[in-house]
Amino acid sequence: MLEVRDLVFGYDRQNPVLKGVNLSLEEGRVGILLGRNGAGKTTLFKIMTGVLKPDSGSILYNGKDLLQMSRRERAGIVAYVPQQIDFGALTVYQTVLTGRVSYYTVKPSASDLKVVERILSEMELEDVSCRNVLELSGGERQKVAIARAMAQEPKVLVFDEPTGNLDIANELLIINEAKKIAHEKGITVISSIHDLNQAMYFGDVFFFMKDGEIKVSGGSGVFDEKIINDIYGVAARVVESCGEKIIQYHKESGK
Amino acid sequence: MISDSRRKRLTALILFVLVVLMAFVCLFVGSSRMSLSDCLRALAGKSTAANNRIIWNIRLPRVLAALIAGAGLAVSGLIMQTNLNNSMASPSTLGVSNAAVFGANLSIIAFAGGFLDTGNNVLNIDTVANPFSTSIMAFVFAVISILLILGLCRLRSFSPNIVVLAGIAIGSVWTAATTILQFYATDVGLSAAVIWTFGDLGRATYRTDLIMLIVVGAGIIAFLLLSRRYDALLSGDAVAISVGVNVRVLRFVSLLLSSMITAVCVSFLGVIGFVGIICPHVVKKLLGQEHFWSISATALTGSLLLLFADTLSRSMGNGSALPVGAITSMLGAPFFIAIIFRKGGRSDA
Repeated sequence: MLEVRDLVFGYDRQNPVLKGVNLSLEEGRVGILLGRNGAGKTTLFKIMTGVLKPDSGSILYNGKDLLQMSRRERAGIVAYVPQQIDFGALTVYQTVLTGRVSYYTVKPSASDLKVVERILSEMELEDVSCRNVLELSGGERQKVAIARAMAQEPKVLVFDEPTGNLDIANELLIINEAKKIAHEKGITVISSIHDLNQAMYFGDVFFFMKDGEIKVSGGSGVFDEKIINDIYGVAARVVESCGEKIIQYHKESGK
Repeated sequence: MISDSRRKRLTALILFVLVVLMAFVCLFVGSSRMSLSDCLRALAGKSTAANNRIIWNIRLPRVLAALIAGAGLAVSGLIMQTNLNNSMASPSTLGVSNAAVFGANLSIIAFAGGFLDTGNNVLNIDTVANPFSTSIMAFVFAVISILLILGLCRLRSFSPNIVVLAGIAIGSVWTAATTILQFYATDVGLSAAVIWTFGDLGRATYRTDLIMLIVVGAGIIAFLLLSRRYDALLSGDAVAISVGVNVRVLRFVSLLLSSMITAVCVSFLGVIGFVGIICPHVVKKLLGQEHFWSISATALTGSLLLLFADTLSRSMGNGSALPVGAITSMLGAPFFIAIIFRKGGRSDA
């Protein structure tokens, strides 16, 4: 169980970005943070992965506070796929191997290499393992970024804007990959996504953020016209088609 | 995987062989026009006393300096580029060379530094002359610059852009101070100070080579031990932190060590530009960025380039060697421009 308790963070104390965030997410579930740009989603992710330090609050995984752990210990629990992914001129294999850095001091052991080979095989990246990551397509690079995160053998995968610059085919490929990780491996996935229809397909639990707080949370039942209007300031209509909810926006209503 | 690893080993081996061959070429080329057999005999200590002295006391310390400083400056550039996420970063990004030049100028102009025996403000040079005084002053100011910049950047968590900007700012202060110092210098002092800034491997002795070897060797070993962490850093600070790397400490240690390497090389040999930019870029093209191999290959490429530049400088100088720093810069500048224009790509009309 992943729990965020009363998390407060501000780049300056007068204007906190997070004003007491609380959320909980069970093992093997996909939680999606929703909200406008600047709502604090990426900040929350950066705190979870140790990039930023909060002013107060805690993040617990099965009762243990991630914020009190050493970097190495935390790297074995939480892995991060950021919104903006940079790669060096490394092969896919070498890139995925960087996910094992917290497991060794100088040189990866045989078991580290085995984990990398297993992940490459599971994610069907074996054929491109010797290729330079910079030569791959956007979707393949995103898969490599997930594979590197999976090489950490994490319990929680933090996935910021997974479909940012991808075409629809790659978007679905990545979302399905992340769902598989959660549902088949029992890894808790927490992500953010802007397209509400994709979010409903991707997630199990949804957290609507506004002004540094979580305003509403729950299953797909929470999506309605009122909450979308409150959070995004956009008039929308929720319709049902073939048993699935679809959100239609009034295109001239954006504020 | 096996083929990739084998390719890297083979490239490193070829570079190593080229370095050894180039070292011998460098050792056997010079203004005394010794034949190859004379050189070999002198190397074995069986030639004339003069030839033995040329090989053992003049050329060998010079070749060793090229091997060590070339490797050190090139690797220092690579580590700067990785840690500052900036392909234009160089060994002197922390203003090290500017500070060393100021220190050397201060020693030569104000305190009659003994290195070149050309001080202008002291009547009797012999009273203060110490063969290392200029180098020591250069090194002291280089270290002051490093500590100043790293101390300032600590306040902003060693953010790469802040480090680069602080390096430019502090570097320009040293340059301004050097200009003021030179303004008050006599003709003799000024020419000695300017000549010092020309990189010159001829200043090397076995003792300076040993000091450089200790600093460069320790630095390269540390960088090799940290090589996997540098690989992780290529994906950005956020990813490196999330995989368990202490980015703040890594960046501090790396910048400190690479600047110390530069400080010691510049203090003993003067400014040798572009080795730290050309070599990491060539190796990146050849082998990619896996740091264990790129550090090793960059070190070898740096040695090779400096040996080549020194051989060229002694062949072109018509009896007196041209400054090796000028040769490396002349080779490096077109390369640097090519990188800048390639990176910009096609600009919008």
